[in-house]
Amino acid sequence: MRFPLAVAVVLALLPLGLPPYAMTLLTEALILGLFAMSLDLMVGYARLISFGHAAAYGFGAYASGNFLLHTSMPLPCAVLLSGLLGGVVAIPVGWVCTQARGISFSMLTLAYAQLLYAVAFKWTAVTGASDGLAGIPRNPGPFGVTWWDTKAGFYYLTFAYLACAFLLCRDLVRSPFGAVLRGIRENEAKTIALGYNTRRYKIAIVAISYGFAGLAGALYAPFAGFANTELLFWLLSGQVLIMVIVGGTGTLIGPIIGAIFFLYVQQKLSNYTDSWALFFGVIFIAVVLFMPEGIWGLLRSRFPRRAA
Amino acid sequence: MSDFLPFLVTQCLNALSQAALLFFLGCGLTLIFGIMRIVNFAHGAFFMLGAYVGYSAVHWTGSFWLALIAAPLVVGGFGAAFELGILRRLYGRDGHAFLMVTFGLTLIMGEVIRLIWGVEALQVKPPDSLSDIVFIMDEPFPVYRLFLAASGIVVAIVIWQFLERTRLGLLIRATSQNAEMVYALGTDVALVRSAVFGIGCGLAGIGGVLAAPLVTASLGMAPNAVIDTFVIVIIGGMGSFLGSLIGALLVAFVQVFGTYYFPDFALALMYLIMLTVLVVRPGGLLGKEA
Amino acid sequence: MTGTSGFSRRAILGATLATPFVARHALGDEPIKIGMPCALTGPAGEIGAQMRRGAEFWAKSVNAQGGLLNRQVSIVAQDTTGDPATAIRKAQDLVEREGCRLLFGMTLSSEALAVAPKLADWNTIFVSGDNGDGRLTGESFVPNFFRPNTSGPMETRAIALYLRQADFKNFYALGMDYAWGHNSIGVFKDEVKKSGKNFVADIYSPIGTKDYSTYITKIRQSGADACFLVLQGDDNNAFLSQAKQYRLGDKVQLLTSIVDLNSIHAVGEAAVGLIGSSRYTFSFPGEANAKFVAAWKQEYGVVPDVFEGEQWQAGRMLEVAIKKAGSIDADKLRPAFETVEIDDIKGKVAMRACDHQAVQRGFMVKVGRKEGFTDPVPELIATFPADEVTPACRQMTYDS
Repeated sequence: MRFPLAVAVVLALLPLGLPPYAMTLLTEALILGLFAMSLDLMVGYARLISFGHAAAYGFGAYASGNFLLHTSMPLPCAVLLSGLLGGVVAIPVGWVCTQARGISFSMLTLAYAQLLYAVAFKWTAVTGASDGLAGIPRNPGPFGVTWWDTKAGFYYLTFAYLACAFLLCRDLVRSPFGAVLRGIRENEAKTIALGYNTRRYKIAIVAISYGFAGLAGALYAPFAGFANTELLFWLLSGQVLIMVIVGGTGTLIGPIIGAIFFLYVQQKLSNYTDSWALFFGVIFIAVVLFMPEGIWGLLRSRFPRRAA
Repeated sequence: MSDFLPFLVTQCLNALSQAALLFFLGCGLTLIFGIMRIVNFAHGAFFMLGAYVGYSAVHWTGSFWLALIAAPLVVGGFGAAFELGILRRLYGRDGHAFLMVTFGLTLIMGEVIRLIWGVEALQVKPPDSLSDIVFIMDEPFPVYRLFLAASGIVVAIVIWQFLERTRLGLLIRATSQNAEMVYALGTDVALVRSAVFGIGCGLAGIGGVLAAPLVTASLGMAPNAVIDTFVIVIIGGMGSFLGSLIGALLVAFVQVFGTYYFPDFALALMYLIMLTVLVVRPGGLLGKEA
Repeated sequence: MTGTSGFSRRAILGATLATPFVARHALGDEPIKIGMPCALTGPAGEIGAQMRRGAEFWAKSVNAQGGLLNRQVSIVAQDTTGDPATAIRKAQDLVEREGCRLLFGMTLSSEALAVAPKLADWNTIFVSGDNGDGRLTGESFVPNFFRPNTSGPMETRAIALYLRQADFKNFYALGMDYAWGHNSIGVFKDEVKKSGKNFVADIYSPIGTKDYSTYITKIRQSGADACFLVLQGDDNNAFLSQAKQYRLGDKVQLLTSIVDLNSIHAVGEAAVGLIGSSRYTFSFPGEANAKFVAAWKQEYGVVPDVFEGEQWQAGRMLEVAIKKAGSIDADKLRPAFETVEIDDIKGKVAMRACDHQAVQRGFMVKVGRKEGFTDPVPELIATFPADEVTPACRQMTYDS
């Protein structure tokens, strides 16, 4: 618990020292961190690898974008509602996808994401088609609250969501529910033999995971002020999966670090050279070869927890 | 409708030519997966490399036929080298490792190709003998597409015979069933893996050089190819050679006729097929459950 | 260079001598940084690369004449890979960290649309180099956006005006299935009906389509004698290559809204016979263009392409605006920019205050073989006056 607490304190104090452009980058990193952490629930704890997680993210972004543009719902409500909606919509998706296992499961998640992408491209009224929704406001709501209009304000809002989500997820994976998930991850046949309806657990974790991803997307829309079809694209799904793996699967905090690492390195590299993709690729391969447990795994081995 | 028969024939030929390209990609990926359980995310990059190598071969020697030989050799060789150098260290690790490594490779290859060949699309001209037109029931049809369809059939037969009749083919089939047993019998499984990865990439390379006259050699080839390949292989069943053939044919025919009758669904068609197949048979048409 | 340049070398020298310490101190001051988030890798990379070259060439020529407001111009280009989320991130970085008060770039219209609402907060002016989406000077207009280049509706209009005097009677249209495709074909459909000709049908292909055989079949079967194409990049190259293989051009005249040299180079023979609207071609007449092309050739060894020319024009208009305003501060620059007029590589071009669209002529070209060139080249076949080609304020369609 020490380390996450330390990280949290650092993140909470950073706005006091950082210049505005770094704040914006960090806010986006935290949003992606939430996105990555949500994927870790599926990947790290249940070995359900989603190739289409961007579907949840984009869905959340479009949902909150529409709420904020067309209603006067205050920002936090729009964001929470969108996340919830994302989770609910994911239940039938999870039901269909969990018909299959392994790579077939992953490809089904991809199919759902690509179909959503195709629909979003066509459904101009709701999604603005390929142009997306622009000028998404950060609605104040009935009490005229506007502190999230500023950079620092929105940062703390994001941080608050991330922290709450992290605590919720941590409790979830430490609960009996989480134990069953780990059973499914290690040996599904045995878990079934023990009498658990593993299908239901899988659908549940898919819905929860997609819900949190939707929350992240719902935060992104007012952050950037826009939402468009690229947020649903499989390239983003691939990137967030990489963030999880780089950070360290099955750790919740690892993917958050992975997301910050990914965004930061990509930004810095592309500032210096057009060939940033080359170095990026080399870094990934190096991480795989030399950091098999991801960044978090490396940190943990350097600062081992004292035995209880 | 006297118009319908020529239309049907030409569209079927279109679908066959499309299926051929999809097959080259899918066959390679499925062979690799069958043996190594690796999802080769870089498969599209190898396809693209084939196109660019083909371009250079035509550019320097003026011979398309030479390019057809050079591309798979170079690309396959590079693939085998990558397997020897990097992938070999990762067997026994999680599937995540391969995903990341091949993703990293895609980024690297994409950028290196851009550095070597530039950001503009490049023309790869087929030989004059293949640039002509034939008239099939009064409908003009490019000879090159007939050549593509024929190549697909030829390569499919060659690979089938290779898997059935040759020692290496037998080893490949055996390794995909039970690697330990093959090892116990004294065969170098590592060699089989390198060979398969090389062959798989080589097939992608041929696909690339054959596709180039149709779409030009360009940096956008890789991402599109990856997604298409995955879909076909999943439909056919990961690890099944015959599955990749059926998957390619199915997707190509549905796309050609589907786009004709329902153009609004063009983007979604492939995924709808995949969804339908997976819901009915989760392992793919001919696949084993992963 | 021709233009309404007020700063000749003599004037600079005179000013330097006349106002001793302050002016001399100002020379070699902070450079004017122009942020340029554009697609340098990825599918739109080829266009972004052109835009960057155009901007750098312009900056170089401005700096050779002493810079702007006695400051050197520096272009800070960053790769967005054509992704709007990255474009916003890069633009923010350039504005907030690098201190850019001006922006170029935003290769794709989706990137421009994402960034536009933020321009007011950043108090930064964005000068488009290639954005074609009609909405940027229409319903999505923001005061800090300026478009010196030809828009999508304008290039479609040029084709439509040309067709009124041509013999074609039945038209088909094929476009990429996103905003630009739908936008341009919508305008085209309108124009065909207005001219009393027959619009047969339109069809849209998903971005990234590789096999166009079905679409070619449909065009062929439709009985149309001309087909309007709204395709770009890889899709455009693939279609043209395959259409040539099916000998589609023998039966149906292909009309296109983009004719760029890179594309012609990529498809070679398949481009011959194409008739299209051109935003800029090196073979345009006029002394200013001849000078520009010669200087470009000397620098890069090849003739300039579409987006290189358009970016140059954008730079020139910005240059004149800055000199007029005497400042790069958005509040001072905006009113000055609104009344800029230049006479440069595309002839007379004038910025319009009501929607920040530059009013300019429309050009039609035909691609053919020419002596002295290895690739086919576009040749001018028609020119249309600016007031006929540019739509009314904030509009994307035309009344007559």
